[in-house]
Amino acid sequence: MIEITLTDWQILLVKLLIILIVVPVGALVGGYVLHKEMAHMQHRLGPMYAGGWHGWAQTLADGIKFAYKEDIIPASADKRVFSLAPAVIFVPVLLLYLVIPIDQNLIVEDLDVGLFFLLAIGSVGSIGVLMAGWSSANKYALIGALRSAGQLIAYELPIVLSAAAIAMLAGTLSLVGIVEAQDWPYIVWPPGIGLALFLLFLAGAMAEMALPPFDMPVAESELITGPFTEYTGMRFIFGFFFAETAHMIAFAAIGTTLFLGGYKPIVPWEPLEVIPGVLWFFVKTSFMVFLLLWVRFSFPRLREDQLQKFAWKALIPLSLVLILATGAWILYGP
Amino acid sequence: MALDVDQRLERARRPGFGIGLLKGMRVLLKHLFKRNSVIQYPDVKQDLSPRTRGVIALKEENCTVCMLCARECPDWCIYIDSHKETLPPKREGGRPRKRNVLDRFAIDYALCMYCGICVEVCPYDALFWSREFEYAEYDIRQLTHEKEKLSDWMATVLPPTELEEGADIPGQPSKAAPAAAAATQTATPTAAATAATPASVTSSATEARPGQAQTAPREGTAATEAARPAASAPDAATTPAPETAKPAPGLAEEVKDQQMDSTAEARAEPEVKRDAGGAVEAEGSQAEVEDKAEAETPSTPESTAVTQTPPPAAAAPSRPAPRIEDLEQPEDAYARVLDEQSKAGSSPQVAEARAKVARVKAERAMTQARAAAPQEVAPTPEPSGAPGAAEPEPEQGPVAPTPEEKPDSSAPQAEASSPGEDPEAVFERVLEEERAKGSSDAVATARAKAARMRAGRGAGSAGPQEQEGTKGPND
Ligand code: SF4
Ligand code: SF4
Repeated sequence: MIEITLTDWQILLVKLLIILIVVPVGALVGGYVLHKEMAHMQHRLGPMYAGGWHGWAQTLADGIKFAYKEDIIPASADKRVFSLAPAVIFVPVLLLYLVIPIDQNLIVEDLDVGLFFLLAIGSVGSIGVLMAGWSSANKYALIGALRSAGQLIAYELPIVLSAAAIAMLAGTLSLVGIVEAQDWPYIVWPPGIGLALFLLFLAGAMAEMALPPFDMPVAESELITGPFTEYTGMRFIFGFFFAETAHMIAFAAIGTTLFLGGYKPIVPWEPLEVIPGVLWFFVKTSFMVFLLLWVRFSFPRLREDQLQKFAWKALIPLSLVLILATGAWILYGP
Repeated sequence: MALDVDQRLERARRPGFGIGLLKGMRVLLKHLFKRNSVIQYPDVKQDLSPRTRGVIALKEENCTVCMLCARECPDWCIYIDSHKETLPPKREGGRPRKRNVLDRFAIDYALCMYCGICVEVCPYDALFWSREFEYAEYDIRQLTHEKEKLSDWMATVLPPTELEEGADIPGQPSKAAPAAAAATQTATPTAAATAATPASVTSSATEARPGQAQTAPREGTAATEAARPAASAPDAATTPAPETAKPAPGLAEEVKDQQMDSTAEARAEPEVKRDAGGAVEAEGSQAEVEDKAEAETPSTPESTAVTQTPPPAAAAPSRPAPRIEDLEQPEDAYARVLDEQSKAGSSPQVAEARAKVARVKAERAMTQARAAAPQEVAPTPEPSGAPGAAEPEPEQGPVAPTPEEKPDSSAPQAEASSPGEDPEAVFERVLEEERAKGSSDAVATARAKAARMRAGRGAGSAGPQEQEGTKGPND
């Protein structure tokens, strides 16, 4: 038997490579699911031709098409910022996957401050959006970018506060630790507070990803494509489509980890333990993706001021109250 | 009270806060699992309704260049060009005949808004809707379909759908018409002629529109001269028109306008003469017109353009009457064409439509041949004593009727619906005939009723079949 010894660095490289392959593929599949789910919910068929069977290769074909498109940079754009922005948007999304535990031991790096890392990295993308909007020298792009920034500030708070409540309950910032600390029944624990935290997180996540009904930054009927108005070709698809889908899957995975018991079986029942945690994680994440998309397709876009009102007058006070309630539960609960 | 409404609204909202969002989500979820009813168009084709407005088909032989469609088209996207032909007189010393020849008929589908007015308005059943809709082009100019292409669409026209229960039967006059018909019947022959004339004047007047009035002076002074004395006749004829005959008052007025214009007058007059036989014309039945068009076709070689001198009358063409035994049975023709078409790979609908066309043609040939036989025995039928449209002609003006008119108008009474035949008997007879031909019940009854109506009216109007018969030998 041949011993293969890898240094830490090599192991890390292999893991990164896997992430680099899995995430784009996941984004492609996610995009396909998005197309199909949206189509069927709207009583259409969606893509039916690309690839033969029910248009399975549609997102792939889209990607190839975009790859061949000309890369246009507007004459008055700030060229360096303009070309850097998609990377600033996309790379943080990739980095999110580094700390998400797919199984107990299947994780790129189980950071002690995993949750903190997630929240910190998750907000970097908005800087990319701001860069894209500012450097495009386009009014739509600028308005979109500023909306995006305003939205980030408003909705980061509910996410952070709900995540903080979870961290308080688990007593750790490590994501594996959080998953291990979760008990059945996952979401409704602690009673009432858990579910409220989950909904809070969902709302914040959708706003942060600029998914409808919180998609004012890219509101196509007002702003064309917001910050991405001037982008073409690969930059467009990485900054916009890819990042959007990858972001969505990442947030679904984070939600799974924080609220749905991550890689644990749905019900703590002996025979179910046989099924590997990866599968559980996959099933739960898929459910989360479905939920996000379902909400996304159901609701119309809010107005910008309604969005801000909703965040500052409803979500943030609610999350503060929930933090207090969680503290009370920890102190006086069972 | 306004407050009350507000309060009620408020109450209605409160328990449902947020519920609406969930309801919306539920609807979407239901649709996700519903059977999808999308028809994947290029692969699967929808069975469109028979009345689909796909493309307009032109039955060229039916078109009399009356220009009604072009005038009524709101988009003015129908282009019609035509010229006049002078045909030699039928008999020695007769007057040369004129007829319109369709040179161009085009519909610009880039402009057409598919309102269907042209199809509705065509009095001679020359335009039809077809269900075909896949005629997109890369070049907008290709969307102007010329008459060849428009005629090709005829193959895709479906046969008319069965009438609904209690529907008006086509060909039957509306409520107001019987009165006019009665007037025609009881009045003096002159009155009958007046009833007949406006219809033909109308058509000729509209024909005159597209700049053909200019050609009139060139028609030869003799013709103009001959026509002038008669010019007053249509005037007199049209005056009572609004009360007694079909044409709308507006049209009658147009006719008058035309007559004020001396050139148009000169031109319109021969038209009146030509159609003077014309209670038949006033009926405007499709078969009659079809037959007219056909009857004139064989004479084309001898026909001359307006500016040419007409050939001697002796050269008047005569179509050899085909013998009945030589003709194909309609059902055989139907089966044969259906077979051919399905072998040629046509779609079932197209094949059926073409087969039906073949059957109709065969039927028509049969009836013509049948009618030709007795006509050969009595080549010049004399006007019978019936109160027909033939009688009034001498009173219409100094111009003697052209030879072809007499048989036109007199034959129906002389032969087909012999005068005085009991309407009920006619009804029974036509019903029998139709059944024998294999027409559907509704059609048979409709035709029989139409025949009874005509018989009851007694004027020079006979069933389409009979008219066809009498027309045949006149060519
Ligand atoms: S259907 Fe088209 S061609 Fe016919 S009248 Fe309407 S617009 Fe004109
Ligand atoms: S209305 Fe009918 S008959 Fe008259 S010109 Fe048009 S198609 Fe021909």
